[in-house]
Amino acid sequence: MAKTYDYLFKLLLIGDSGVGKTCVLFRFSEDAFNTTFISTIGIDFKIRTIELDGKKIKLQIWDTAGQERFRTITTAYYRGAMGIMLVYDVTNDKSFENIKNWIRNIEENASADVEKMLLGNKCELTDKRQVTKERGEQLAVEYGIKFMETSAKSSINVEEAFYTLARDIKAKMEKKLEASNPPKGGGHQLKASEPQRKPPSWLARCTIL
Amino acid sequence: MMQRYDILIQEIECIDDYLGPTFRAIYDGQEHQKFMEKLDDCIKNHDKDIERMCNHHYQGFIDSIRELLQVRSQAQQLNTEILELDKHITATSTKVIEMGEELVKARKVESNMAAAVNSLTVCLPVLAAYAKLQKQLKDKRYYPALKTLEQLEHHDLPRVTNYRFSFQITQQIPQLRENIKDASMSDLRDFLENIRKYSPKIGEVAMRHTAEQLAVEAEIIGRKKRRSHINNQLNESEEELSAQDLMDFSPVYRCMHIYTVLREEENFYYRQQRKQQARLVLQPPINMHESTVGYQTYLHGIIGFFVIEDHILNTGNGLATRTYLDELWDMTLSTIVDALRTHSAYCTDATLILKVKNLIMLFNTTLRNYGYSVGQLWDLLQEIRVHYNEVLMKHWVQVFRNILDEDNFLPIQVTTQTEYDEILNLFPYHDKDLQKAEFPKKFPFSDMVPKVYQQVKEFIYACLKFSEDLNFTQTEIDEMICKSTNLLLTRTFSGCLSSLFRKPSLALLQVVQIIINTGYLEKSTKYLEEFVTNITGTCHQGQLSCVGVESAMFRVARDDAEKQICDKLKKKLDEFLELENYDWNLAEPQGHASGFITDLIAFLQSTFTCFTNLPDEVAQVACKSACSHIAKAILDILISEDVKQISMGALQQVNLDTIQCEQFAASEPVVGLPEGTLLQYFLQLRQLLDLFMSWDWPTYFHDYGHECNKYNLVTPNMAVLLLEKLKESDKKTMFSVLKKSERDKKKLLETVLKQLRQLAQTTQQQ
Repeated sequence: MAKTYDYLFKLLLIGDSGVGKTCVLFRFSEDAFNTTFISTIGIDFKIRTIELDGKKIKLQIWDTAGQERFRTITTAYYRGAMGIMLVYDVTNDKSFENIKNWIRNIEENASADVEKMLLGNKCELTDKRQVTKERGEQLAVEYGIKFMETSAKSSINVEEAFYTLARDIKAKMEKKLEASNPPKGGGHQLKASEPQRKPPSWLARCTIL
Repeated sequence: MMQRYDILIQEIECIDDYLGPTFRAIYDGQEHQKFMEKLDDCIKNHDKDIERMCNHHYQGFIDSIRELLQVRSQAQQLNTEILELDKHITATSTKVIEMGEELVKARKVESNMAAAVNSLTVCLPVLAAYAKLQKQLKDKRYYPALKTLEQLEHHDLPRVTNYRFSFQITQQIPQLRENIKDASMSDLRDFLENIRKYSPKIGEVAMRHTAEQLAVEAEIIGRKKRRSHINNQLNESEEELSAQDLMDFSPVYRCMHIYTVLREEENFYYRQQRKQQARLVLQPPINMHESTVGYQTYLHGIIGFFVIEDHILNTGNGLATRTYLDELWDMTLSTIVDALRTHSAYCTDATLILKVKNLIMLFNTTLRNYGYSVGQLWDLLQEIRVHYNEVLMKHWVQVFRNILDEDNFLPIQVTTQTEYDEILNLFPYHDKDLQKAEFPKKFPFSDMVPKVYQQVKEFIYACLKFSEDLNFTQTEIDEMICKSTNLLLTRTFSGCLSSLFRKPSLALLQVVQIIINTGYLEKSTKYLEEFVTNITGTCHQGQLSCVGVESAMFRVARDDAEKQICDKLKKKLDEFLELENYDWNLAEPQGHASGFITDLIAFLQSTFTCFTNLPDEVAQVACKSACSHIAKAILDILISEDVKQISMGALQQVNLDTIQCEQFAASEPVVGLPEGTLLQYFLQLRQLLDLFMSWDWPTYFHDYGHECNKYNLVTPNMAVLLLEKLKESDKKTMFSVLKKSERDKKKLLETVLKQLRQLAQTTQQQ
């Protein structure tokens, strides 16, 4: 079967309940906005194909439930993730404070070289803002990750954020590929211990969860 | 001789005139001298006589003169006296004459007057009658005027024919008669015009009376005690004029009377006019459907019209006949029905329809009381009821949609007793465990359940509202409610749910919650029945028939939701399957399952872990459909036309993936399924893979068609397709290989392929 994509990136959205992860994802995948709050139960995903430097990249974006009770289910998905969006709500200081906990969570569960990005969502609600952009930037700098303020509702920076993350993952992966310099077009060997060294991109994140 | 002279003288003396002959005689006698002397002697004798006579009479003469003088003065005196007297008399007589003349005049006047009086006596009654006529005309008392006119014509006027005025009057009579006719006709016209103005008012009053009467009746029956206050209103309204009193009918009677007297048939005009009016009345206001006012005006107008006609019929001495009225009513009835039907069909406001229904009912009762048949209108009410239900449905679509839009599809969580009680008030949910549970308590269903339940109740109530007072039998009402509620839930509610399902934002687990919700709604059906029983106040007759129907009501929604969960799940699985990225030239399998399969299995596992509240059978169905879908998808990939070649290594990789799936199927992802049930779905795929992995063609051909066939699910066609792909792959890698074993292998492959094709052909022919 003809390949429908060149790369498959698995991304993960995490953050407190109600910060708008599902909305951000919905905006990115369907370019729509849903005002009614439907809390995500467990885990869900959306797939969108984007093009970067002439490469077709499938983004499988996992949307996790922010609620504590689903934590066991959601953390299982950390390991497979190649990129993680940490989302907080600029109108909710608590959600911003919790980002540190989420990062700790990532460090515990995700692979070490996962690309991370910080998103301050709901930036259109200027009247209710509790977290300044500067604080967000400060935190991002501290952790050495990229930062953007987004609005799923007003469609601000959502597209940009995902593209940025995807581009970073792609760059990191290509670099890694070069470093490992695999023999091109060779037969695939059974190397269960090092599945991520395999050249076909999608195999790169192939792990047994 | 002497003697002759004497005779002559004597002759002279005696004859006075004819002296001629005497003188001749004298003249002829020659004795002139002697005659002269004799004559002188005679003269001297005469003188002497004269002198003696004078002497003799002198004294007397004097005395006479004296006397004469005296007489003269006396005469003069007398003359004066006479003159004076004459003057006096003249003066007196002038007056007398004057008086006399006056008298004559007066006499004349007197006689004239007498004559005039006579004439006038004769004329006066005529004039009086004429004056009376005029006055009567002025007072619009046309009938007496007509009588007067007749009297005048036949009795009075013939007596006074020779007067100009009588002639004029006589001439005027036909004109007057015409005038009277016209006037009464114009009065009739005014009346007809007025009647148009007043008939809505009359209709309104008539309708109000009916309403009051109904209220009183209801009170007597004791059904509606809450309306006891109506008494006061009634007293007030009794003082009000009755419908007929509002309108002065005299012009009609007058006109009719007059035309009767004139022996002219004028019913025709009245009826024609009224028919035209009826047509006008029957024209509903253009925007009637917008508000009750429009309907009120319309119906009042019609009632007014027919109340008047009824009155005319009863009092009008044949101005309106029963036939005429019936004909008119028949024509009207169909028009009313049409108009009401059309306008009510426009109406999308249930409350308005209810009001209209009440209006129509009152309208019916009122007209029935006046003896008109209103059967068609009752039929119309039935039609409106259907429409009303439609409108309700439409309204409830919105209601349900809102409820579903607002719901977050998370179980309701309550933190206080009040909140808990509130939910229980809305929805009958009795769970001992929940009752005992600590706060915060969590209901198994989400917000939509109590809301939907409440709304269904509202709907039933709204449905019943229409049947009120319609004199339906209990069975009919029950049937209607069942039917409507059924429609509401199977069509409206399910429709809302399915449109919700179409939303991409609805996640799988929300569908799960919806299924759970509908389950609880289904359980609540019996409470709904109780609710119906309570408000209709009937025993359970007919309710039993509902049980079967009602329990099916939420079933439709539930079935749909269950189907949705499978669909959603399949869609998610498809997304995974789209990520499939097999390298069909793979020489060696990776030794572990492909990434998309591991992800898929992980996703399924976590999803089914979340299906905790889902009824077992739903979870089972979903899981079954998922397994079946995956198995079919993998099989489809293998035999797909898009894949031209498959290496053995790739096939082994697919086998690895399938094993991963089978492991999942065997891991009892949902409870309650008999062992191996899920594995069944992979059986065909498994057989195919086994056949190819073990290259066990002899067994395949040997067992083919037998009962205990190990590969009974592998069709020859399927095998051919896959085998050809393998062969294609082999060509590339092995065409230079000349080893004998390889050649044999190739030969075997050809044989198998040939056999399979043959088998496929025979199977097809069979």
